[in-house]
Amino acid sequence: MDKVMSNKKVIALYVLPALLLIAVIIYVPLVLTAYYGLNAWNGIGSPRFIGLSNYRELIRDGLFWDSAWHSFLLAIFSTLSLILYLAVAMVLASRIKGANTFRKIYLIPMLLSSVAIAQLWLKVYHPTNGILNSFLETLGVKNPPSWLADSSLVLYALFVPILWQYAGFYILIYYAALKNIPTTLEEAAKIDGANALQIAWRIKLPLTMEVVKVTIVLAAVGSLKYFDLIYIMTGGGPNGASEVMASYMYRLAFRSYDFGYASAVGFFLLILSLAVTWIIRRLTASDDKIQYS
Amino acid sequence: MPVMKKISMLLTISILLALTACGQAKNEGGDKGTGGGEGGDTKKVTITFMHLWPEGVSAGQNRIVNQIIQEYQNDNPNVTIKQDVLDNEQYKNKLKVLSSSNQLPDVGVTWAAGFLVPYVEGNLFTPLDDLLSEGLGDSFVAGTTDAYAIDGKTYALPLEFNIAPIYYNRAIFEQYNLDVPETYEEFKQVVSTLASNGVAPIALGNRDRWTGSLWYMYLADRIAGQEALASAIKGEGSFADEALLRAATEVQNLVDMNAFVRGFNGLSNEEAKSEFLNGNAAMYLMGSWDLPNFTTNEDIPQEFRDSVGFFKFPTVEGGRGNINSWVGGPGVGLFVSEKSPVKEEAKKFVRYFVERWGEQSVTGAGVIPATKVDTASLDLPKLYEDLFNEMNNATSITLFADVQMEAQAAETHLNQIQALFGKSVTPQQFAETHDKVLQR
Amino acid sequence: MTSMSQTGRIGSGASKHSSGGVSGKIGYLILYVILLVVAGFQLFPLVWLFFFSLKNNQEIFNLPPLALPKQWRWENYVKVWEAGNIDIYFFNSVWITVVSTVLTVILGSLVTFAITRMRWKLSSLVLGMFMAAMMIPVHSTLIPLFSMFNRVGLIDHPLSLIISYVAFNMPITIMILLGFYYALPKEVEEASVIDGCSVHRMFFRIILPMTGSVLATTSIINMIYNWNEFIFVNTFISSDRLKTLTVGVQNFIGQYTTDWGAIGATLMISVLPILIAFLFLSDRIIEGIAAGSVKG
Repeated sequence: MDKVMSNKKVIALYVLPALLLIAVIIYVPLVLTAYYGLNAWNGIGSPRFIGLSNYRELIRDGLFWDSAWHSFLLAIFSTLSLILYLAVAMVLASRIKGANTFRKIYLIPMLLSSVAIAQLWLKVYHPTNGILNSFLETLGVKNPPSWLADSSLVLYALFVPILWQYAGFYILIYYAALKNIPTTLEEAAKIDGANALQIAWRIKLPLTMEVVKVTIVLAAVGSLKYFDLIYIMTGGGPNGASEVMASYMYRLAFRSYDFGYASAVGFFLLILSLAVTWIIRRLTASDDKIQYS
Repeated sequence: MPVMKKISMLLTISILLALTACGQAKNEGGDKGTGGGEGGDTKKVTITFMHLWPEGVSAGQNRIVNQIIQEYQNDNPNVTIKQDVLDNEQYKNKLKVLSSSNQLPDVGVTWAAGFLVPYVEGNLFTPLDDLLSEGLGDSFVAGTTDAYAIDGKTYALPLEFNIAPIYYNRAIFEQYNLDVPETYEEFKQVVSTLASNGVAPIALGNRDRWTGSLWYMYLADRIAGQEALASAIKGEGSFADEALLRAATEVQNLVDMNAFVRGFNGLSNEEAKSEFLNGNAAMYLMGSWDLPNFTTNEDIPQEFRDSVGFFKFPTVEGGRGNINSWVGGPGVGLFVSEKSPVKEEAKKFVRYFVERWGEQSVTGAGVIPATKVDTASLDLPKLYEDLFNEMNNATSITLFADVQMEAQAAETHLNQIQALFGKSVTPQQFAETHDKVLQR
Repeated sequence: MTSMSQTGRIGSGASKHSSGGVSGKIGYLILYVILLVVAGFQLFPLVWLFFFSLKNNQEIFNLPPLALPKQWRWENYVKVWEAGNIDIYFFNSVWITVVSTVLTVILGSLVTFAITRMRWKLSSLVLGMFMAAMMIPVHSTLIPLFSMFNRVGLIDHPLSLIISYVAFNMPITIMILLGFYYALPKEVEEASVIDGCSVHRMFFRIILPMTGSVLATTSIINMIYNWNEFIFVNTFISSDRLKTLTVGVQNFIGQYTTDWGAIGATLMISVLPILIAFLFLSDRIIEGIAAGSVKG
């Protein structure tokens, strides 16, 4: 058995194609990004080596740290919202009438492109005739805020569509995981007198833990790298109030033509993502892998 | 083992596919503009032309471009022109990526001044002064080619020319018994009357930031004068100059007066423009490129179009600017890549294009070209004629600040504009941040 | 008990919860209402998009977002399909999405299988390498990838997209498959080895089919990403005949004006195939489970 399952040739055959692909498409640019980060380059002429200057500037760059803070906020909100998604998935996976249809409907926003979602939410947040403000005005609110123009509100206003965009993704993952729990366990617990909440907490949750841990990492890192709706809806404004690291990096590269510095930011973002992943794995580590038998 | 065979077959096929695909792509790359191979008298030449007028939304320009290309190809049968069409934003990105690996198209579109600098420094655009000889140079409106010149050499030929008036809705003005303001005091009166009557005085979409910059520039021009502004932008003068500080303060005064539509700092220019088009806002400071919307665009109700007029930005009492000083300048221009293998042919094409474009752009796309237009021979809507008159009487035209400045400074300027309008910086801070980045 | 679990009736439940009388029923009702409301929220974008695609610029900015269009401008769709070249972009989107998804899922399954079920020392390291690849911000790879592709003549070639999509989707595909593969009972492998199965046969004939439900999940996720992907297409592809729908939308964003109705129509056309694929595949998730293959 062992010999069959450790056949080196087979392993190589199965793993190498994908590994090679990743190495070329992801790791090589990664190294190049690190290299560019050590240069001053406007993307047009030749790069000029300046050592760690970009990183020194990064440390002093208030705009960057603001954007980093915003990214972190998003990561926190994103991770917290996982609880909600898990709960929804549990409901959908249970024997509720029409769960099937609900599941399909809930996942629909996930299919829309960022452009569509951005357009939709711009219409929701429009200061005068947007859906939200029109609704608030009919409720009697006198001067509803301009959600995307108010520096103190804009970031949180953007979090809503961002989280909404990915809700379907996480619900789907949790749903698939929950569906893999053998119904025998649930039946047995019910016969023992457990109610729905106890079943959820004591049985379903532990069995989906592996998946939950994975989604925590995904949510956190995905938030740190997030770009789309921020850039499309506000461009990071007003004046950086909704800037995140990825949009800051993008503007540095493609608008300010400061590609060396942008690469430094990108590389830093990468290291940050690795660090966060490591921390999360540490915090959620457990040795037992659950067996069914 | 059958499965092994399947896998190895798949792999071989994919590798073969990849190789042939690569080979094909390389061949196509080889054809591009080497102008070699075919026998005969004239060499076959392919010119790659990248522009930002997609058929979907710049129908007029797109039509003109295709027509010109057709004509050129007919007149020069050995030449094929290959188009690459992108929209504005993506065009800028693509250009950047292409330039970083020396893959610029033979002919492309560029913006003036600050945008041009890195490309010129990187030796990516070829000088086009020889095209300006034989009369072409004179056919340009004075000063338009200067914005595309660095160190005495011209690196692109402009295709557009714009100035920015304040458009206003005559119906609304009549409704509140308002006259066209000629001084800034009168202007503020208009603003407060409208605001107190619940009508948004000015449509402004400052999410795009350059729109707010127009307001600042005019205030700066009228208060501090064109030279002070120009020298501050160049980094020679200072934005903390008393008159320029006053201009920044005036911006914030206008904000306090509720002169701009609600939530302007988060609205896009499109959204703001629609407030004006829907009659929700009375005034709109914008470039002459928007004229088609107020004249020929059938999608906009005729009633509205008939009630649009424009006036010049009012003068400020005690200020050094005069009413015939405008913000505006050349729009996009055509460049020829320095590394182009078909440089001479490309240059010939550019010259041809600029001439033909100038003949048709107004009537065909509502775009004012940078070459002089004989308005008498054309049947133009009144707004166009009035605007052309103003252009001829202009005493000075200052190019948009974010176009004048280099990329990094331009970004800082635009962000500061948003901050100024959003009142998250003081005029003093506004000035200091500018000086810091411009005087580097 | 045994018969119920073997048929594994799940999902569209006919059975009701046996827990307590009125309070249980009220709780159920409240839950149901909440679910309905949320469903409304989730459906509303499609409805909005549909209306949006039938308006023109004026109506879009003038009328409230959910208002019916004054005139149902089906010509937006016609314009977009003919003048906007959407038919070409549609075809490209479809084939590139499908090919990339299939490749990613197959290669990902191979890797996950090897890492989780086969025994070798470097498995954790290799897994780590795949996971770490997820950290890179996409936008910082644009310029390096462009010059690399350029050097091998793959610029303006669909292969550049396919390889990029497969590479960037590999980590998350593996991640999703991982949990599932870990939970597969060892007995299956032991049984097949005893029966004299080679690894390949075991994988392709037995294990892979067992993963039907996760394959459906990862396929959906891959397809959505590939279908809506934008920045790579925009950077690597110039020729019109190779563009996809996401970039095609940009045709309607001009230098100074934008045709929003056309954009809406394009977006609507873009959503439909992925919607259909999704509805089709999501049933497969249920089928895969109901087939009872996991519990064996």
